[in-house]
Amino acid sequence: MTAKKKILLIDDDKDFLFATKLILEKGGYEVFLAEDGKTGVEMWKSINPDLAIIDMMMETWGEGFSVLNKIRATDTGKETPLFMLSAVDLQGPYQSFEPPPEFPTVNKVLQKPIKADDLLGYIRQALGVK
Amino acid sequence: MIMTGNSEKHLILIIDDEEVLRDGCRQVLERCGYDVLTAGQGNEGIKLARERMPDMAFIDLKMPNMSGMEIIEILSRDIPDVVLVMITGFATIVSAVEAMQKGAYDYLPKPFNPDQLRALTKRALEHRNLKIETRRLREEKDQMERNFITFVSHEMRSPLVVIRQYIEALNAIAGDRFEQDVKEIIERCTKRVHNLEEMVEHWLDISRIENGTLTQQKVSLSLDSIISRSVEEMAPLCRKKGIALETNSPRSLPPITGDTESLVRVFTNIIGNATKYTPEGGKITVTVKNDDYYITASIADNGTGIPPEKLPLIFEPFYRCAEKNEKSSGSGLGLTFCKKIMESHNGVIDVSSREGEGTIFVLTFPISINTERNGSVEIQ
Repeated sequence: MTAKKKILLIDDDKDFLFATKLILEKGGYEVFLAEDGKTGVEMWKSINPDLAIIDMMMETWGEGFSVLNKIRATDTGKETPLFMLSAVDLQGPYQSFEPPPEFPTVNKVLQKPIKADDLLGYIRQALGVK
Repeated sequence: MIMTGNSEKHLILIIDDEEVLRDGCRQVLERCGYDVLTAGQGNEGIKLARERMPDMAFIDLKMPNMSGMEIIEILSRDIPDVVLVMITGFATIVSAVEAMQKGAYDYLPKPFNPDQLRALTKRALEHRNLKIETRRLREEKDQMERNFITFVSHEMRSPLVVIRQYIEALNAIAGDRFEQDVKEIIERCTKRVHNLEEMVEHWLDISRIENGTLTQQKVSLSLDSIISRSVEEMAPLCRKKGIALETNSPRSLPPITGDTESLVRVFTNIIGNATKYTPEGGKITVTVKNDDYYITASIADNGTGIPPEKLPLIFEPFYRCAEKNEKSSGSGLGLTFCKKIMESHNGVIDVSSREGEGTIFVLTFPISINTERNGSVEIQ
């Protein structure tokens, strides 16, 4: 029996974590939750997940980015697929998120709320091409 | 001692070349509990004012070297909230008006007695306090409005996002076991949450337009592309409701200046609105015309129409034409949004309607005065 793939979810909204966890578990993944960036980075190092999903808008507007940078800076973080979650409309009503030039590569930017099928589809895709 | 009601002592500057008058005023005002500075001429007075930032200044109109008028102009520009009063021996209406235009609060004709000086000082300082208080309140209000927008966008959206995510989770983990009626309940919940989200978004958009923080990228564009995109977007809904959606447009249109996204939303809003009041088998027609200065786009339906007494109200926020027993959906802010967007494009939105025959919305856009082709030009 192959081990379940591990997914790390970092978001400061407990309910969002729980709802998304249910979807991911239904998809057959082992899910780890972190409620803040610091815990997220620590868990990243200890559990070595196959994929991480990071909320862009935790506490302060920059925390998601700094978490992303820290994870990308680790040895395992260079190749692992990382998804960013964005609430719609950060600057204005019509602009979806566009990463700044120095932004480390994100494999996918997802809009909250995210449809279960879409989420599982993107994850399969990201893990499959790995 | 008379205090002005303010705990701090007010500082008053007197600029006059007559020593007797300076000293007389100083004595009167100091006895009232004010701090007083004096200067015998303009340059000295301005220097003193810049250093000590007085709350109020009396300035003699007629002095050698620099006129009182000049001093008033400089002080009202340089010293925030200072109340300026002109002292003059030749109190003509003309000079008083000029001084006030340059920023003076009032004038004091010579000769004057201590009572007049005291009364005017008290009134002027009260005026100053009111002015400062008003500004503080206005700033506070603006700040609250801005904070409120941020508050709404974070605190109202997050729970809605979470509810939708839970519904997704619910369907994902148990959707295949739900009976039809359970599915229907979930479907209805989703719809209502979606409506609420829409209302929050619309409300936010309108607040942003009102306080000028809506991001709009105004470029030179063809209304044609806006309309075809909007029609494309609305076609599925019209098909579903059995309503025909047609466009009549001249072969080529002069460019207008606008923000594509918000204009598409204006058209989809109006077309969407028309579908609510047009019965199956009805028709919505978008017609574009232009002359040398304006492009007009009319969106006409042959639906139920709007009663004349309701027509003037439809652009008001949260106004709904639907009667209580009619099924209504939407935020009640769609047309308000359209009107605001049209205004931000120097355009006009108009409506006319006949009950039982249909409704026509007419959007009028000024044509870009474009000297260079394809350049993006802001309309002056």
